[in-house]
Order: sequence, then structure tokens, then C-alpha cells
Amino acid sequence: MGNSLEIIALLLLMCGVGLLVIGIPLGWLVLGVSVVPQMFHEWYVQDLRHLPSAKGEAVDAVLSGDLLGQLTKHPTPYEIATAVGRVGSGQFMGARYGLTAALLQQIASQDVAKTTELFKRANDIRAAHGAEHITGSIMLVALVRSFPDYESLIAQIHLDDSDLDAGISWEQHLRNLAKKHVQPRRTGGIARDWSFGFTPLLARFGHNISAQISAGGGTVTVDVAAHTEAVDRLIDTFSNGGRQNAVLVGKEGVGKTTIIHAFADKLLDANSKVAGNLKFRQVIILDSSALISAAPGRGELENLVMQVLSEAYSAKNIIICLDNAQLFFEEGVGAVDLTNVLQPILDAGNVRMILSMDEQRYLQISRRNSSLTNSLNRINIAPATQQETMDVLQEQIIFIELRQKVTYMHQALKEAYRLSERYVHELDMPGRAMKLAESAASYHENGLVTMNSVQQAIEKTLDVKVSVASDTQDKERLLDMENLIHKRMVNQTRAVGVVSDALRRARAGVRNQNRPIGTFLFLGPTGVGKTELSKALADVYFGGEGKLVRVDLNEYVQASDVNRLIADGADDPSSLTAQVMKQPFSVVLLDEIEKAAPEVLATLLQLLDEGILRDIKNREISFRDAIVIATSNAGADRIREYIERGYQVEQFEDQFTNELISSGQFRPEFLNRFDEIVVFRPFTKEELVQVLDMILANVNKTLEQQRVTVTVEQDAKMFLVDKGYDPRLGARPMRRVVQKAVENIVAKQMLAGSVGAGEVVHISLADVQRVYENKALAESITIENTPEKVI
Amino acid sequence: MFILGLLQWWYGDGWARQVVVARDRVISIYDYFSVDLLAKSWFAPFRQISAGKVSGPLQAHWNAFVDRTISRFVGAFMRTILIVIGVASIVMFSTAGVVAVFLWALLPVIPFIGLALAMIGWLPWNG
Repeated sequence: MGNSLEIIALLLLMCGVGLLVIGIPLGWLVLGVSVVPQMFHEWYVQDLRHLPSAKGEAVDAVLSGDLLGQLTKHPTPYEIATAVGRVGSGQFMGARYGLTAALLQQIASQDVAKTTELFKRANDIRAAHGAEHITGSIMLVALVRSFPDYESLIAQIHLDDSDLDAGISWEQHLRNLAKKHVQPRRTGGIARDWSFGFTPLLARFGHNISAQISAGGGTVTVDVAAHTEAVDRLIDTFSNGGRQNAVLVGKEGVGKTTIIHAFADKLLDANSKVAGNLKFRQVIILDSSALISAAPGRGELENLVMQVLSEAYSAKNIIICLDNAQLFFEEGVGAVDLTNVLQPILDAGNVRMILSMDEQRYLQISRRNSSLTNSLNRINIAPATQQETMDVLQEQIIFIELRQKVTYMHQALKEAYRLSERYVHELDMPGRAMKLAESAASYHENGLVTMNSVQQAIEKTLDVKVSVASDTQDKERLLDMENLIHKRMVNQTRAVGVVSDALRRARAGVRNQNRPIGTFLFLGPTGVGKTELSKALADVYFGGEGKLVRVDLNEYVQASDVNRLIADGADDPSSLTAQVMKQPFSVVLLDEIEKAAPEVLATLLQLLDEGILRDIKNREISFRDAIVIATSNAGADRIREYIERGYQVEQFEDQFTNELISSGQFRPEFLNRFDEIVVFRPFTKEELVQVLDMILANVNKTLEQQRVTVTVEQDAKMFLVDKGYDPRLGARPMRRVVQKAVENIVAKQMLAGSVGAGEVVHISLADVQRVYENKALAESITIENTPEKVI
Repeated sequence: MFILGLLQWWYGDGWARQVVVARDRVISIYDYFSVDLLAKSWFAPFRQISAGKVSGPLQAHWNAFVDRTISRFVGAFMRTILIVIGVASIVMFSTAGVVAVFLWALLPVIPFIGLALAMIGWLPWNG
């Protein structure tokens, strides 16, 4: 419309001039009238285009122009849904929340009578959000909420009612940011820095973030309470006459560098309320590695740093920033201790300085040199809350989207927050969630970063399973878990059942997320399959026996051994915390728990209860993706006694547990922490035959490479079971029996060349009897030849 | 009614908008030349050459003083030029803004002037 008005105006102008040229005075009138379409053009471009056509209290008076342009005079909700899918703000909700036009059309009514109610709902939402117009996103939310069972509907795409409001706010916020971005910015003009000095050294050894912001490369900052407060305190510190330094202390990822950027940004804004002596000051981050590489010797380096700081002092408009300031106060790779040079400058306050430091490092430096930390103005930075983190994510992912050419869904951001809180330990919020969200970009699906992308990012990096089992193979494996485990171990059906149930609960998403997948105490004599079940579980479901984190607690019998259990991975990679930190999705086997010191058991209480164990550096290590199995031989004789008296395990299990408590072997609060206490019973001879079969299957697997197979006749097996049966040792002697009677025969035949590739070695009762007769003969000869002991 | 709407906007929001546009343009020019900053630092040494404390013999103090004086002279010269250009630009853009706002108010009258001239039948080349 605007263009056609301009063309009409131009034509009239040309006609008017033409008429005057040929001597017709009417040309004056045509010339004068040419102004009218031009005026309408201005009106349209500057006002009408942005405003709804009607004025007053009617809902359509507040409809946004783009949406109104898509609608007929009396639209049905269905037509409105179609229109919403065509406007930018509606498409925003479609891409970010999965509320697509197709979905809206499915739920929208075709009844025109329902339009009034829809408009009213939309207007109420507009008022609640303080918005000027009913935009596509507001209308979309009104359409969704008009559907009777909308909460169940949106739950299918992992949304709840509050997410809809969050969507409107996000869309509004981005629109406001875009508006703000096009507004002219006052940054001081061309003579801003003329009164200040040249800084060639700082340009070489520093990174001028003010220059970066001036050039349009500034980060967008959000209203995170901790950040706003820190920026205000920085301004106060440098505006007042006290010590001209500040140290930002907080965990990595809380946004210390962002705060420094926000501070630099504020100083550059001529409109901001900042003292005159701070306005347009430049913030320069010193590069420690550039300094060290330019001056490798200690004396040279100190000299260079002095020159750099003198330059900052002479220039008079520089605020030096030591990001990761510990690099300047301790020796190490890429770090050098310049305390002697920096402390007098910090004390004197001649050069304004901002330091940023990790909390732990600050404490270490403080302990080493308290006078240094006493001369600093400390500003603590608290981690962002969930809402603040979501705000930061919503704003910052725009930059990742531009870089990676992807679009993040809201569900992905929520998942990034949830999963990072659980799995990313080295950073704090919001950096923690940001890091995960960023890494999820590599797992996008058709350009969309979804909840699944975030889950994949965590699963691929940490080798854990965080998503609900969805593929058929995974589901079948879970449902068939007992049979799969029983391929490796005999009987103990109750124990196999409880661990299988725990895994199924975890993978169906119905377990308590704030505890380990399952915590079990396996009680029973040796050789009955307690450890074997843990190994089988690691092999069958967790991806191999390498996923078994085994800690023999008989090595932790002193109170001081607690330190070894929770040692830092850098010092002791075999500590429990270090192993689980590297491999959170695992089976944790705490063997022979009864032998551990009480202090060690007390340390494990929180692990069993909340799935968290703090390491020696006070980092929270999550055991929430692990199955924790503790084993104990305590009361093994008592179990045998019950079995010999004819009791079934189920009949004496509770009483047996009580006996363990009353005999003082375990404290009740410790036993109460386990999900299940399972008593393993000794094997019967029939079960040992099955054990023998499994051992033989393994022997055949080993012989597969030589293409030789071994078979043992049934009566020979019974003979071997008789020889290997020992109720005190369980199935353990069976392995020795097989080695002696089967593996030795096969080895001899193979060496003698009587068995070749593709042949079968049959072992009969006579064969195994011969082995044992020879052994008995050998033993008798040995006994006969042994001289009598002299007492 | 439509014409009335146009005229209402033209002398209401439209005119106010012209004032804002003209004002923003002047502010932007003012910010670009930062005349207030130039005026405040008129005689400050240019880019702080030889700034800072000088220690040493009398000769060093004298050299520093000379450097600083030259630097101040250079600074004052540069700033004066910029202040003059800046003030001239501000005056020019302010005048242009006022004229634009005035012409905006005149524009709806032009069709009537055209009608009057057409009725009179005056043509410039007929004298």
C-alpha cells in the first residue's frame, strides 16, 4: 500500500509540472493535490501499519497487526489457528514448544460462535502479561487453553501450563531486545579517549572488552539478581574513595566474566547513571599466558607486569581485570606467582583492578597470604536460581543458534537445566546448564535441539542412560532381564528379581530420581553368587564387566581409611568417588561390608539415602545412576544352619536380619538404608550341576578359537559335583575341579595331537575317575615320603 | 472522516514524531562530537603523552614539562577544531530539524495554495 501511494504522488507531481510547462495553470492544483497521497503514505508507514484498525474496548482492537491481516471478518477458531501458524510469534511457539499450526488446527473448533470466548481468553492472557497487543503467541496459548483437556495434551510434549506463559514471556522478551538493539546507543563520541593515554602494551597483553562491546560484540545481559547486585557493587567500589579493587568470588560457571562484561557495558553507556570518574573507562583483561610467553624469566616477567600496570596508570582510563586471578598468585602451568608485584599496587589502589576467582582458590590464597585477601574488596557471586538460569539460557542460546544454525526447543532448555544439575559437577548455574545446552547442539534433529538431543549429549559424554527406554530392543532386554542374568548364574531368583525390578523402574521413569537406582545388601556364604550377580548385571545391562566399580571394604578397616574412600581422583583414581565420577552409570559393589570400619559405614549412609557422596574436595558425587550392591558373609554359618534344619530362605530372612542387628554386626540405621536385604542360600548338588554346565560352556567358549569342543558325560558330571561339593565354599571349588579334571585332559590330548580342529573331546566317568585316582596315588606317595615332624 | 483522521494524526502524533526525530538526530550528532567532553578536557595533554610522575634530575623534569606543554597544545588545537566542527554541525542539524518540523505543519495547506494559484491562473514564465 505504501508503495502505491508514493507512485500516485509521483505521478501527480509529474502531471502538475507537465501541465504548468505547457501553460495550463491547473497544474498548480495537481501539484498541490500530489501532497495528499504523500501524507497518507507517511501516515501508513509511521502509524497505520503498526496499529490495529479499530479503536475502543473490542478484543479485535488489540489484535496485533500481523495477525489481524490474516483474519477474515468473522473467523472461526480454526481459521484463527491457521492464521496463528502464519505469523512470526505463532511460528516461534511452534518451533520452540512444538505447538505447531497442524496441532492447533486439530484442536481448534470450526464453530464461529466460540470465537468470542476465544478472543476473551486471549485478551485476559494479554492483560495478565501486560502486553499491548494480542500477538500470535498469546492467541496460540488461548487456543490451547480452550481445548477441554489441554493439560493432558501438552503433557504429551513434556509441557505444563506454566510453560505456556513462559513461552509468551520469552517471545515478548526477544521482541523487546530486538527493539532495544535498533535504538541508537550513546557511547561517548570520537573524542572520548583523547584525554587518556595510548596503551600499546595493554593492547598486546590484554583483551579490551570495552572495545569489543563498542564494536557491537557485547554479550546480552539479563536480570539475574546476583549479577545486577554485583555490577552495582563494582560501580560503588570504584566510585568511592576506598581501595580501588574488587574480587569476584564464586564457583566456575556462576557468571563472573559475564558480570565483568556487564560492568564494562554499563561504563560505556552515556545514559547510565555512573559517576563521571568511571564513565567510558576501558576494562582490559590481562592475558597471563601471553605475559609468561613474552617474559619467561621471573625478573623479566615482574618487570613486564610493572610496565603494563604503569601504562594502565598513566593512561588514566583503564580498569585492569585479572580473570581467573589465581593464575597470577600461584605457581603452575600457565600460572606464576606475582604476589610481590601485585600486592603493593592493590594496597595503594593507584590502578583500578577487578579480580575473579574460584571460591576454593580464594580460600587457598587467603590461607597462604591473608594480607593479600584483606586488601581486596570481596564480592560473592551466588549461583543463579532455576528461573534465572532459564532466563539466561533463553537469551544466550540465540548466539549458539546463530553460530550452529539450529533452533532450541523450550523442552531442551528445561532438560539441560535438570540434567546438568545432576551430572555436570565442575560448573555452577547458569554456566552448568549452558554448557550442556551448547553440547546438545551436536545432537540436533533436523535443525531442532530437542529434549532428546540434551539426553543424548549426556548419554554420549558420560555413558549413562537418562532417557526412558523407548526402543523395542531396550524394552525387551529389560523385560527379559531375569533370563538374561540366569544365563550367567544359577538360581537366587529373589536377588535376580529385585535388581531386575529396580532397573525396570529406573528405565520406565517411575523411580525416585534422588536416590540410586537401587540399593541392595546381599547376605550369604561365600561362593553362592553374590559377586557374580553384580558382574552379571554389569555385563547384561550396564555394558560390560568394566562397568562394575568394586570396592573391597576389607581394605577400609581404619577410621582414617575414609579419606582413601573419598579421595580426589587426581590423587587416587581408584577411590570410590573418583571411579563413580568417571563412570556414574555403573554397578557399585561394596564387597565384605561387615569388615569396614564404622566410620566408613557412616560415610556410606548418605550415599545409600540420597545417592550423593561428597569427596575430599567437598564436591558432590552422584550415585543416582548406579545400582549399589553391598555383600557380606556375616552370619553365613547361621544361614547354613537354618537351611540344614529344613527352612526356606523366605521363612528365616527377617529373623536372620534381626539376629545380625542384635549380635551387633550391623547397626539398624545402616540396614534400614537398603531397598532390599536379600539372603542367598547355599547351592544344592543339583544346582551345582548347572554351575558345572556354565563353567563347561565357558571352557568351550575359550576353545572356540582352536575349533575344539569338549563334552562331559552326565555320570562324570555327577562325579565331579561330588568331588567339588563343599557347603562352606559354595560353587567356588567347582572351578578348580573343572580345571583339574577337564581342562587338563583336553590340554594333554591337544598337545599329544590326538585332538585336532573340528573334533570333539568326550570325557567319560572313567576319565575323571582316573584323574582323581592318580591324584590319590600321588598324595599317598607324598605322605609316605614325608619325614615325620620333630616336635 | 478519513481526512479528519489523517489531519488529527498529522498535527498530533505525526508532528510530535517529527520533533522526536529531529531531536534524536541532534543528540546523535552531539554524542558523536562529544562537545562537553572536549570542552571539559580542552587543555588536557593529548593522549596523555609524558603523563605521570617524573623522577630524576632537573633536566628530566624540564623535558617532561616541555613534552606536556606541547601535548597540551596539540590537544587544545585538535579539540578546538573538533569543537568548532561539532558546534557547526549541531547548529546545522538543529536548524534543519526546526525547518523540517515547520514544513511538516505547512504540508496540508499546499493543496489549497495550489487551488488558489490555479484559480488566479498565474504562471511564472508569463510574469
